[in-house]
Amino acid sequence: MSDTGEMGLRQPSPADAADRDALGRVADGQLEALESLYDRYHVMAYSIALRITNDSALAEDVVQEAFLGAWRNAARYIEGRGSVKTWLLSIVHHRAVDSTRRRRPTTELPERDAPPPAALTLPDIWPEVSGRLDGEAVRSALGTLSDVQREAIELAYFGGLTQQEIAARTGTPLGTVKSRMRLGLLAMRHALLGDGGGPELGDQAGWADR
Amino acid sequence: MNCDLARELAAGYVLGALDPSEERAVHDHLASCKEPHPEYPELGSVVPALAEAVELVQPPASLKARVMAAAAADLAARRSGAAPAAPAVPAPPVAPGESVVPFPSAEEREARRSRGSWVLRIAAVLAIVALGASNAYLLTRPTPQDPFAVAVARVLEVARQPGSATAILKGEEGGPSGIAAVAADGSVVMAMENLGATTGTEVYEAWVIAPGGDPVPIGGFQVGADGVALATMTGTPAESGVTLALTREAGPGATTPTLPIVSAGPALSPPPEA
Repeated sequence: MSDTGEMGLRQPSPADAADRDALGRVADGQLEALESLYDRYHVMAYSIALRITNDSALAEDVVQEAFLGAWRNAARYIEGRGSVKTWLLSIVHHRAVDSTRRRRPTTELPERDAPPPAALTLPDIWPEVSGRLDGEAVRSALGTLSDVQREAIELAYFGGLTQQEIAARTGTPLGTVKSRMRLGLLAMRHALLGDGGGPELGDQAGWADR
Repeated sequence: MNCDLARELAAGYVLGALDPSEERAVHDHLASCKEPHPEYPELGSVVPALAEAVELVQPPASLKARVMAAAAADLAARRSGAAPAAPAVPAPPVAPGESVVPFPSAEEREARRSRGSWVLRIAAVLAIVALGASNAYLLTRPTPQDPFAVAVARVLEVARQPGSATAILKGEEGGPSGIAAVAADGSVVMAMENLGATTGTEVYEAWVIAPGGDPVPIGGFQVGADGVALATMTGTPAESGVTLALTREAGPGATTPTLPIVSAGPALSPPPEA
């Protein structure tokens, strides 16, 4: 994976710098630093876990496991590849999805213990848009998607379904589900960043929606 | 996997919607591929924003105590160079057939608490006890508006004293649970949450079950609408190695427990100082 131009634009926000400082101290085994991260992100973490699991006891377990995972793996966080907030909430998301898949006994669980290749640690767009990225902005960006695109993305991200499961659930060919997710993400990106959403991808043959 | 397939799977990957085998194949491809795959950061960068769309819900205040206790336990295990102590300490067996009341077998109790969080929680309490000075961390920070956190802090004060033992009590998923400390003098102080409120003369009765022995009542208490209890019971001296159990009784003074057991757990001594 090559670094794209957006990596160079990345300006850590003051909150991000404070988070990195806290995470460094977490890696040194300082409980107070973990507490400060908990205080900052526990509501978001719990809300995501609850939305995905739809079960308050399970959501509490997910949040506990996720913060404990962050506590143990703080040294694995790679600076420059995304904010601490994104890293932390992605752990919550993974754990929550895993716990819902565990309730579906036929589903094989991914191995989350192995760290992804460095090239796969995804950058995010928080810093560029941090001033306007709030729940309202994101809901409004979601509103620019077609209903079927939004459905595919929400079933994947909040429903914990695989693309095959989404295809089966919605009675849609797998290829169509893939293109809905992809075009939906590009449309969100466009709405959030106003950068055109990557026309070189958008114009690729064979990706047309529906 | 080739580059075309990797591109096709990018959206599913960043949304976490691939099968594990596909996910592994993407990992392997991207780790070794010489071609650029800008679609991954391009699509992936949007995903964190999705989290912002979620409706915010405040978790219970007791969750913070759980998280911090788990981290404290992990820290203690790290410092002592050992794995968390809890899994090495088995529940005391109850001899089959000897008890007139069919209490759950050791296997059943094992199954009931097989989830990782139970191990974590008892490791946490043992570690907090073992940590000595560091446990002041949790004790000084109960959330005043959370009665369970206050009750837990009180139990941990007893658990810190030399010669005490600690038990995590678990019930059904999301049901009554809590912790108890057995003091050196055999008295038991117990903090419970998620109990159903008692009505009339109803009480929750606590029982001590020695390995191979019958349940012995040690005291009862009533519970209000908040489902939280902090009770000290001195009816019969308890000691490390016993199982503490809780039942709901029609009135005080029961001599044999009325099933089901709403919550139970073994009382264990802390590991030696790290």
